[in-house]
Amino acid sequence: MNDMKKIKFFVSPLVVSITLFFLGCEEPKLKQPRETTPNQSQEPSNGSGKVDREFTRELAREFANEFVKEFAKQINRKGFTFDANQSTVASNHSVLKSGLVDANGKPNPLLSHCSEDVLEFYQKNADCFFILSPEEIPNDLDWKDGSSEKEFSSTIARRGGTFHAYMRDFPRTLRTIGPDANGAFRSYLLDNNVIGLTHAHPNSDGYYPGTANLWAVGNDGRTVYFHLDPNARFSDGKSVRASDYFFFFYFMRSKHIQAPWYNDFYGKDKFQKVTLYDEQTLSITFYKAKPDVVERVSIRPKPEHFYSELGGEYLTKYQWEPEPTTGAYMALPENVDKGKSVTLVRQNNWWANDKRFFRNRFNPDQVKVSVIRDNDKAFEIFLKGQIDAFGLAKTEFWYEKLANDHSLVKNGYLTKVTFFNQAPPPSYALRINSQKAPLDNLDIRVGFHHAMNFELVLERIFRGDFVRMNTVADGFGERSHPTLKAREFSVDKAVESFAKAGYSKRGKDGILINERGEKLSVEIMTGYKHFEDVLVVLKEEAKKAGLEIKLKVLEQTAAWKMANEKNHQVIFSAFGTFVELFPRFWEPFHSNNAYQEKGDLKYLENGDLKPGLTTKTSTNNFTQTAVRELDHLINQYREEEDLLQITKMAHRLSKIIHDHAVWVPAWKKPWLRVGHWSWLQFPDDWGPKESTDYEEFQVFWIDTQEKEKILNAMEKGEPVSSQPTVREFKKYKSK
Amino acid sequence: MIKLNPLTLKKLRRFRSIKRGYWSFVILLLLYIFSLAGELFVNKRALLVSYQGALYFPTYGEQVSGKEFGLDYDYEVDYRSLQKKFQREELGNWVIMPIVPFDPYEMDYANEESTGFSPPSWKTGHFCGTDKTERDVFARLLYGFRIAMTFSLGYLFLTYLIAIGAGSVMGYFGGKTDMIGLRLVEIWANVPFLYMVIILVSVMPGWWGVGWQVSSLLFIMVLFSWTGMTYYIRAAVYKEKARDYVSAAKVIGAGPARIIFRHLLPNVISTLVTFAPFTIAAAISSITALDFLGYGLPPPTPSWGELLKQAVGNLKTAPWIVISTVSALVLTLTLVTFVGEAVREAFDPKKFSTYE
Repeated sequence: MNDMKKIKFFVSPLVVSITLFFLGCEEPKLKQPRETTPNQSQEPSNGSGKVDREFTRELAREFANEFVKEFAKQINRKGFTFDANQSTVASNHSVLKSGLVDANGKPNPLLSHCSEDVLEFYQKNADCFFILSPEEIPNDLDWKDGSSEKEFSSTIARRGGTFHAYMRDFPRTLRTIGPDANGAFRSYLLDNNVIGLTHAHPNSDGYYPGTANLWAVGNDGRTVYFHLDPNARFSDGKSVRASDYFFFFYFMRSKHIQAPWYNDFYGKDKFQKVTLYDEQTLSITFYKAKPDVVERVSIRPKPEHFYSELGGEYLTKYQWEPEPTTGAYMALPENVDKGKSVTLVRQNNWWANDKRFFRNRFNPDQVKVSVIRDNDKAFEIFLKGQIDAFGLAKTEFWYEKLANDHSLVKNGYLTKVTFFNQAPPPSYALRINSQKAPLDNLDIRVGFHHAMNFELVLERIFRGDFVRMNTVADGFGERSHPTLKAREFSVDKAVESFAKAGYSKRGKDGILINERGEKLSVEIMTGYKHFEDVLVVLKEEAKKAGLEIKLKVLEQTAAWKMANEKNHQVIFSAFGTFVELFPRFWEPFHSNNAYQEKGDLKYLENGDLKPGLTTKTSTNNFTQTAVRELDHLINQYREEEDLLQITKMAHRLSKIIHDHAVWVPAWKKPWLRVGHWSWLQFPDDWGPKESTDYEEFQVFWIDTQEKEKILNAMEKGEPVSSQPTVREFKKYKSK
Repeated sequence: MIKLNPLTLKKLRRFRSIKRGYWSFVILLLLYIFSLAGELFVNKRALLVSYQGALYFPTYGEQVSGKEFGLDYDYEVDYRSLQKKFQREELGNWVIMPIVPFDPYEMDYANEESTGFSPPSWKTGHFCGTDKTERDVFARLLYGFRIAMTFSLGYLFLTYLIAIGAGSVMGYFGGKTDMIGLRLVEIWANVPFLYMVIILVSVMPGWWGVGWQVSSLLFIMVLFSWTGMTYYIRAAVYKEKARDYVSAAKVIGAGPARIIFRHLLPNVISTLVTFAPFTIAAAISSITALDFLGYGLPPPTPSWGELLKQAVGNLKTAPWIVISTVSALVLTLTLVTFVGEAVREAFDPKKFSTYE
């Protein structure tokens, strides 16, 4: 089966990556969003989809990389030199000014341990790496330490026990970067584990300290100063050094990690300056004074003492050799049972054991993650008690397979939890390609909105558990439009709107036709086989409004490819969104991602699109939206640094997109639903507001006594609870 | 027109005398005819509507707008609620619905509480219950049967067409033609059938319509499974070719085509016929299996494989799907196998050997 998959994967990534490189797409979609947030797939509740997409993405990167190498070779042959890392060579003067070396060419004491290659890299980029004296730290900084924030773990949490989890596939590597590294397992190694400089507080807009115990934003609004926690240590006992943050950029910009996206993301364009002042103090200068600049530059240290420098053997050498971590859990090579499981072990004297915000978290002594390839099988194993928790988002699991009267729940052995969270939901929506007839007509698009009976889908298929998504930017708190509502299902409104576009008569089969006798037929494509039933309902209901829907349920990669080539009429898909301060509009709605022609060159005097524009493929603008007013506003939005203005603009943007009617919002789930064995204990609020997963903030613990009690009771057949253990946490439920 | 060999006729008569096989054949035939006329028995459209003195036969014609019957909507009439409305009003209007008043695509969300998987009930009219989106399982079974049978017959016809062509050419000409042809067939036969089908179906351009997709699925399946029959045809032709009547035909001056089609085929047909029912059974199983794996017919086409898939995922919650689908599958395949056994017995050369 794997071989066959690869064949399918073969075509699309090649095309995608090559187009990417040729067209110089500014923020290509194959990029993965922020490194500091866990990778979310298009469909978080479906593990297989996740792996698929990541795999494609990685493949694309590999291809892209190969392409770059080949390109470099070609250029070399013609007598040029080319090196991705050495675009600028700094002069001696600037090296001196940067403080990296003294007048004798000796490296600064802070860098005395660096290898030659690393030093050379810093010197070549002397406009980016600086070592200044501590006196140069501004005196008027407003240092923060997060002490005003509340902890979100429970004081009664107990350490100990083994937490049993599962993954769908064995990780292809224990590296956290490079080819194959961003699989589902990475979150255990990196995203939910490694401590960075600071972390965004999951219950507020503030931050809590990580490896930095103090931080301050400079007067320019884009330089953040960090004071390192003297206790911060890697799992091999070595202290975290300020120079590890220099090394981070050496690492991330290295071609050897074979991760072009990271090379670019952590490139000079965004991270313009890194400055060390002494062993404990550093600053990072971002390219723009964004309101969430602290979060954006709060990188995770790379252990320089472990790598020393990178070479061509990086990928193979570290394939199964995990790097030392600042996080609580270590993966040790001896705990890797290839193909079967990985057991993570908690460090006994972890440096952050007693730190606020880290105490009472990361409680289990071990986390054993086993491979179970089939979701239904995993569920059965969960019922046997060999996995501690299992996501119950799907209605059939929640209502039928583990109903409230299931004996395990009735007797209190298992607990079912609904936790209302507040995080941007994956953007499930029908994305209308406004370039394709008949959907290039606004009236048809509005009619299409009214012909989609999502109300019925939510009520019957999802049994009222999901709620309708209303705007393109739901779940961003203040930044989401407060009053905008998705267009409701209404046969009358749909028919009226279709009539405006000339489709006013019903044909023999009840489908509307226009004067030329053309049928009103639209094709919806999707890569989600598990949502086939949703589309079937929409199709049948749309008939009432005289709209014929053709369904095309494809393999995910095939659907992805078609949408990338903008060959779809309507695609049903979702993108993972991230807990961040404000939504993104440029990627999915700016006209530069719809057509090749730059900026306003696309528009006629009156704002209409010029005829004969060239479609831009491989971008996230699946709706082919191109509206002059919108473009200008998005440009301003991207430049804006004031949060209040950003909020206002986000509302206006949402409204314009709504009026343009290219995006039919589908649904969002306002909660997390999990089943877990009752020996797993959670804090009183169950979890922080922004939890998207029960493991994300590691606040649970295993009550070993309770476990014994439950196992004994099960043996005897006695209940441990007088009523079914079904719990609901509504504290963060939005009104 | 091929004239049937008297021996073949005799075999057919013998088939008729084997009661189990013969009746299985009749039942199967009736079932297929029933499914072909399925719209008259299982349909959401009414058979007959009498409204203000005028009669309507909506089954096969155009879609009738709700306004036609004084309703407030323009889309297709919901005949079931129309029937209830007429009964309530008692104005002399009436509706005759088919026995099962549902079609295989329609979701019956009439019941306020239905959220998929309603159990079988005489009251609601869902004799076999409903599936995940409240579609009638019986309707989907019936139309699924129609598609599976038609598909299998098409499959049978096409595989035999190719097999007969290739087999008789190899058998008749023999020598190098046979030698090379057989090697090619052997190579082709070693291509793993199921994998190839899955690969090809998954790269099939999605913008093809449903009809195209079904035909190309058929075509792909035929492409990778005609080889099996070739060997038998070839051997049978080899055997027949050595007979005197073939030599006689040659002497008269008949060309290869004429000899193959007029003289050899009627004598070879018995070999084909014995395999036919088993080919049908195999085709039904493969299309169901492919649908089950998600590589078969495009949604929302009613299909047994798709039903089975739902059934397996919801064994405990909706046992009626697995019960009805598996019963239908077992029944059909048993009938086909009975027919096959009878045909085989009737055509057994040991009984009617010409070498006596």
